[in-house]
Amino acid sequence: MIVRRTVALLGLPAVLVAAWWVASAGSTDFYRPPLARILAAFRDTWFGRRLLDDVAPSLARLAVGYTVALCAGIALGVAIGASPRLRALTEPVLEFLRAIPPPVLVPVVILVAGIGDLMKVLVIVSGCLWPVLLNTVEGVRAIDPTLADTARVYHIGGTLRLRRLVLRAASPQIVTGARQALSIGIILMVISEMFAASSGLGFTVVQFQRSFAIPEMWSGVLLLGLLGVLLSLGFRAVEARVLGWYHGLRAVARGSR
Amino acid sequence: MKAWLGVLGLLVFGGVLEALPRLGLVPAGYLPPPSRIAVALADQAHQPTFWAALGDTLRTWLTGLAIAVAAGLACGVVIGSVPLLREATASTVEFLRPIPSVALIPLAVLLYGTGIRATLLLVVYAAFWQVLVQVLHGVGDVDPVARDTADSYRLGRLARMRYLVWPTALPYALTGVRLATSVALVLAVTGELVIGTPGLGREIAVAQSSGAVPAMYALVVVTGLLGVAANLVTRAAERRALVWHPAVRT
Amino acid sequence: MLDVAGLRKVYEGQGHRVEAIADLTFRVGTGEFACLVGPSGCGKTTLLRCLAGLLAPTAGMVRVDGVPVAGPPPELAVVFQEYGRSLFPWLRVRENVELPLRAKGLPKARRQSIVDDALAAVGLADAGRAYPWQLSGGMQQRVAIARAVGYHPRVLLMDEPFAAVDAQTRADLEDLIRDVWRRLSVTLLFVTHDIDEAVYLGQRVIVLSAAPSTVDADLAVDLPDERDQLSTRADPRFTDLRTQVWSRIKRTTALEASP
Repeated sequence: MIVRRTVALLGLPAVLVAAWWVASAGSTDFYRPPLARILAAFRDTWFGRRLLDDVAPSLARLAVGYTVALCAGIALGVAIGASPRLRALTEPVLEFLRAIPPPVLVPVVILVAGIGDLMKVLVIVSGCLWPVLLNTVEGVRAIDPTLADTARVYHIGGTLRLRRLVLRAASPQIVTGARQALSIGIILMVISEMFAASSGLGFTVVQFQRSFAIPEMWSGVLLLGLLGVLLSLGFRAVEARVLGWYHGLRAVARGSR
Repeated sequence: MKAWLGVLGLLVFGGVLEALPRLGLVPAGYLPPPSRIAVALADQAHQPTFWAALGDTLRTWLTGLAIAVAAGLACGVVIGSVPLLREATASTVEFLRPIPSVALIPLAVLLYGTGIRATLLLVVYAAFWQVLVQVLHGVGDVDPVARDTADSYRLGRLARMRYLVWPTALPYALTGVRLATSVALVLAVTGELVIGTPGLGREIAVAQSSGAVPAMYALVVVTGLLGVAANLVTRAAERRALVWHPAVRT
Repeated sequence: MLDVAGLRKVYEGQGHRVEAIADLTFRVGTGEFACLVGPSGCGKTTLLRCLAGLLAPTAGMVRVDGVPVAGPPPELAVVFQEYGRSLFPWLRVRENVELPLRAKGLPKARRQSIVDDALAAVGLADAGRAYPWQLSGGMQQRVAIARAVGYHPRVLLMDEPFAAVDAQTRADLEDLIRDVWRRLSVTLLFVTHDIDEAVYLGQRVIVLSAAPSTVDADLAVDLPDERDQLSTRADPRFTDLRTQVWSRIKRTTALEASP
């Protein structure tokens, strides 16, 4: 059983990597270097000063921008979701702001904030905010009326109500919004650096491409992909903690239908 | 009542944006008042380059979306209906899916230059996973009791597809298409902006670097309107399909 | 303790109005166990929501302990019919029972001992660490009862609490609620559509007419205080009372059907 599951888990990835390795082994194509050379370039390029100079600042900006967007989105979303009138008032405006493809905000924000760290963080905030905000509004709006009545009868109000009822009830939608925001945040982190920057992950990778440092460029693509995968794994670990009750509840509901 | 409040909200929003630069609270060079953006938009509408750029964006967006949806549906149904295949590919799908498609930008440029194919690669890669994952969920959600019923009546492969898998998976597939539509627009504009593929994104970058601020905002508004239109169309399609369809998602 | 005077509730929708409660007047004395029955759709839930201060009446007044109700009164607890939706699914059983005590601002040690006692009182001493949705329907309703017990209300309202559980569980829960009522010496108003249940549980049965509802009858249940699922239900007096209630309800629905 364990053997079978391991094969299912690692079989196809191993085959794919091996196929890439073998197919590219003797490659003399300038654009498609052997995987061995890409991996060597990966080690030489990213395990050193670049990790501190380019990778860490990019991730720090992502972390700051994402956190600000998360806090602001949840706070505004709770306020708007709790009031039907405010919701009706803001809905068309929010629908429009959400529909703007976030990357077009890069030139707009550059205009206002130059090309420094502030610009990149602002770009990430302005892109990540909407999915969090709109999903929070939806989650708060859909709080079960019986639970809301229960809270009223037992005089559960103020921050206790916020923490134990509103935020928890809306948490499945908030997590959905946060997941969408994370993938938008990664896109914006990379392209804000590709578009206008002198350092950072996106900048460095594009720089490799422009100077035809092909194995290094491939290694950069690999690193970006790896970061995406690691961030998504981290997100899932957090989700499993926050939404453990929700997945359990859903499993019970599915089992009994 | 609700609709009127929404209109009021839009008016207030526009009014505030108008007042901020006019009162000198924000430099008009950063944020031109909406009235000037509207003038710039009208101005754009008279220029053939604008329509050409809009056409290019639409073409890249919809072509990429069509390829991604077709490929996602086909792969999803095949992988989803064969348990062995599903098991074997699960980890690979989970690994490839979160790779940000912007990571492919240097590769795309290297392989295809700045043409439409470079941006299409990004669009298809990003949108494909949205459709595939939803279809896999949908095919996996087929009611075990209904599956047993189909078995006991010895339904053929095609009939099983038609009456069992398809109705269950359709709402999921439509959700996938809705998500893919907005992701595809984002990546189409990204490719134009960063790679320089012809389209609205490139026009925005050009307007920004040449200091045509109201024109830049006008183009941003156009991309937003495209997004709104996409949301309205895909949501309406989802609703219609769910009305006549027995499979209602919970 | 619970005083309802000239209560009236009309729902005004766009272009149509529904009169749920026409004119209700009754009172439930301190420590009394009253059951409220009526044909389905007679506005029982509307009435209960007015009593709990969750819904403002169109006219008339509700008083709890002499104080007019405008919003949920203190020292009043409600057990809702939908146990699956009145328990917080993200909190464990213990935390569900504890939450109203936190809102009251009780210190931790005090809360812990109240929760222990309340869970023991409903026979769930060992289930405190579970999530509500891991329990059966009957056990979930016990948690809701434990929460009400721990809150230590002077008035307890129950809205068809056993409508969604199976017959055996229902009998157990009925005896549990009699037990809780006696132990807490609480004023209890129990809403149900089940005539047998009303007669078995209450000291008094208030019969409502079909909507727009009024009080149709108010019967004292003169059965002995010690009740037992087998012998009480076999008691001729029980059969007699239930026939009375039954014919009352039959009559109001018959009037409704042939206007």
